[in-house]
Amino acid sequence: MNLLAQALRRCLVWWESIAVLLIFLSVWWLASHGDWISRVFLPTPEATWASLAQGFSAEPGQDAADLGQASWQTFVRMFLGWGLASLIGVGLGALIGMSQIARQWIAPTLEFLRPLPASAVLPLAISIFGLSPGMVLFVVSFGAMWPVLLATVQGLAQVEPRLKEVAAGLQLSRLAFVWKIGLPSTLPDILAGMRLSMTVSLIVAVVGEMIASQAGLGQAILLAARSFRASELFAGIVLLGALGFVSNALLAGLEQRLLRWQRP
Amino acid sequence: MALLSFEGLGIHLGGREILSPTSFEVARGEFVCIIGPSGCGKTTLLRAAAGLVQPSAGAIFRQGNKVLRPSREVAFVFQDYTRALLPWRTVQGNVMLALEAAQVPVAQRAARVQQVLKTVNLQAHQHKFPAQLSGGMQQRVQIARCLAQSPDVLMMDEPFGALDAMTREALQDELARLVREQGLTVLFVTHDLEEAIYLGDRVIALRTNPTPQRPSVAAMIDVPIAHPRDHLGVKEHPEFLRLRRELYHYLGHG
Amino acid sequence: MADMLSRLRPWVFPVLVLSLLEWYVRSVADSSDALATPLQAARAWWDLLWLSSDEGLWRVTGFTLGTAALGLGMGAGCGLLLGLLLGLSPRAARMSFLTVEVLRPIPSVALIPLAMLVFGFGVRMELSVVAFATFWPMLILTQAAARQVEPRLLEVSAALGLTAWQRTWWIVLPAMVPRLFVALRLGVAVALVVAVTVEIAANPNGMGYAMMIAQQSMEPARMLAWLFWIGVVGMVINVVTLRAQQWAHVRMGGSVTDTHRVSA
Repeated sequence: MNLLAQALRRCLVWWESIAVLLIFLSVWWLASHGDWISRVFLPTPEATWASLAQGFSAEPGQDAADLGQASWQTFVRMFLGWGLASLIGVGLGALIGMSQIARQWIAPTLEFLRPLPASAVLPLAISIFGLSPGMVLFVVSFGAMWPVLLATVQGLAQVEPRLKEVAAGLQLSRLAFVWKIGLPSTLPDILAGMRLSMTVSLIVAVVGEMIASQAGLGQAILLAARSFRASELFAGIVLLGALGFVSNALLAGLEQRLLRWQRP
Repeated sequence: MALLSFEGLGIHLGGREILSPTSFEVARGEFVCIIGPSGCGKTTLLRAAAGLVQPSAGAIFRQGNKVLRPSREVAFVFQDYTRALLPWRTVQGNVMLALEAAQVPVAQRAARVQQVLKTVNLQAHQHKFPAQLSGGMQQRVQIARCLAQSPDVLMMDEPFGALDAMTREALQDELARLVREQGLTVLFVTHDLEEAIYLGDRVIALRTNPTPQRPSVAAMIDVPIAHPRDHLGVKEHPEFLRLRRELYHYLGHG
Repeated sequence: MADMLSRLRPWVFPVLVLSLLEWYVRSVADSSDALATPLQAARAWWDLLWLSSDEGLWRVTGFTLGTAALGLGMGAGCGLLLGLLLGLSPRAARMSFLTVEVLRPIPSVALIPLAMLVFGFGVRMELSVVAFATFWPMLILTQAAARQVEPRLLEVSAALGLTAWQRTWWIVLPAMVPRLFVALRLGVAVALVVAVTVEIAANPNGMGYAMMIAQQSMEPARMLAWLFWIGVVGMVINVVTLRAQQWAHVRMGGSVTDTHRVSA
């Protein structure tokens, strides 16, 4: 009886949440069908769904945007940029963080660059590289690099001092210390930085596509807005939300696996 | 030749004289305990001997060589064991660190790790993470890692201070046993007078705020109780009681 | 003397890099339409400072900051209120869970075309995107702050027999204040970044737009001047909010040495 009550209560919790979500969907349905908000701005849920379906089965050359292809382009851009950013961020961060001297001289400049919006580098990149996929990838990597870089530098500065003494006692070389002790102990911070990086890379990828007219969801939704195709616009937004959700969930899963030793 | 030689060691830190010029020797295989009230510089003395602190005056010699920086021949066991272990490595991984640092050939590492873990009775737990272990077990992991270094000297800074009484007694016996088996030389700092007499071949008592008239070393007394020792027997031994009486007031009680 | 030298240290690295850039652009990329030297950019910034037209430094900066502030007020304000509700009522939190998790991953930049469609160009469009972007972090952090009140204090309030209202007003809310300031600091940073991003992507007003226009009109010195200024504004605002956060921390009884830990 107790087990049954527990199971029922857990179901109830989920059902409450689903119910609220359904209420939101109903409000959306009512608002669009009842023309509370013009359908130019708020498409009906079915129209959005239709645009989604259509977007994934579009033949090349058809009028409707190929949302499948666009999603893939944006995803690749985001993922590649994030991957590059993480590698360079950790590498550079380790180099700077490894030496206290480097940290003291360079860290203030890094602090200045921290609040700079990643997208702000786009005009400069366009000046140098022109409008190309490579340019967008460069800006994505550049912008996404900072959270990881800063997390690595800061993490290495805060390694448990006791472990530094243990390393000194074992006469570990500087490189061995960073590889065996510094980076592993900074891993929680690095992973948090990588999650932030992923968010930044998605944003910059989308903005880059919008400005530089590169194929992808950013361009797709911009074009949809300009042509007053609201359902296509909403379909694109849904896809971007899904992209953000899935990539974050995957990273969170990875974080959990890698940091199992924290709560075994 | 003595293994460790302290010659006129003086340490000045934070504007205070922590340790006035101190001289003594530690022979190979000796178990020397250092006691004193807090602030008397016993931890500082130990850290200087391990090369973690620079002397302001005098020097420390190990096998005739001046101690200037940490080295693998001196293994240091910290009191805060949780912070001294790598939380992301298992017990086995933590012990392995010492072998990796010494660049022991890979083929020999596994066997040596098992050997050391057997000595401290941790073989059953070798795949666990530090967070899964009790305080006493974590301290044993640290000791195991230090043994894996194959050190000349074992420096221990109040290693059992953070443990409950029962675990402490068990670990004291385990330590005494493996020190005897391996013929290790030990410098052991503690604030627990009974622990110092129980474990040590010699006990050195230090004073706080040393002056030229009352230098750091207040007393240096041999412990003439035979090994192996057991808790019940020793603590009723007349020599134990005599030493305890004699050293009691050096702990700031008097 | 040593104190003065250590004050100068943070400037050494950037001055070195800028000098290098100065030499590089002057000698290698000579008379380029795409690049300008740091000195030329400084000159352009100085000109902007004294420009009194609509394109002057203060007018343009004022637009961005003002719009960001309005958006922050709306977004963070709503986020704060809803976060309080969800934090104080576990039932509400459970019920809203799915809806929040579905809507939260949508990147704010995805809403730029929608905002464009609904509001055209101008303040309202930018404000709405900033509001969306600042709503979510404020919601999440406020909710967490409300849930993480020191359990001991709640036990004390139960022992004193406080009513729910008294408990909320006298214990929970004051306990949340330091964390709310941390959330506010994050919100301010997000508001600024998103505002500039919207201006770069679409809105023809503000600092981001001024930078884009300068690049498109082949005025690299002006573009770099804006880029530098955006960085400075971001940094100044960050420092101000950090001070505010530290003040709040100490004012609400946190230890002064602790403030370093909170300034993440």
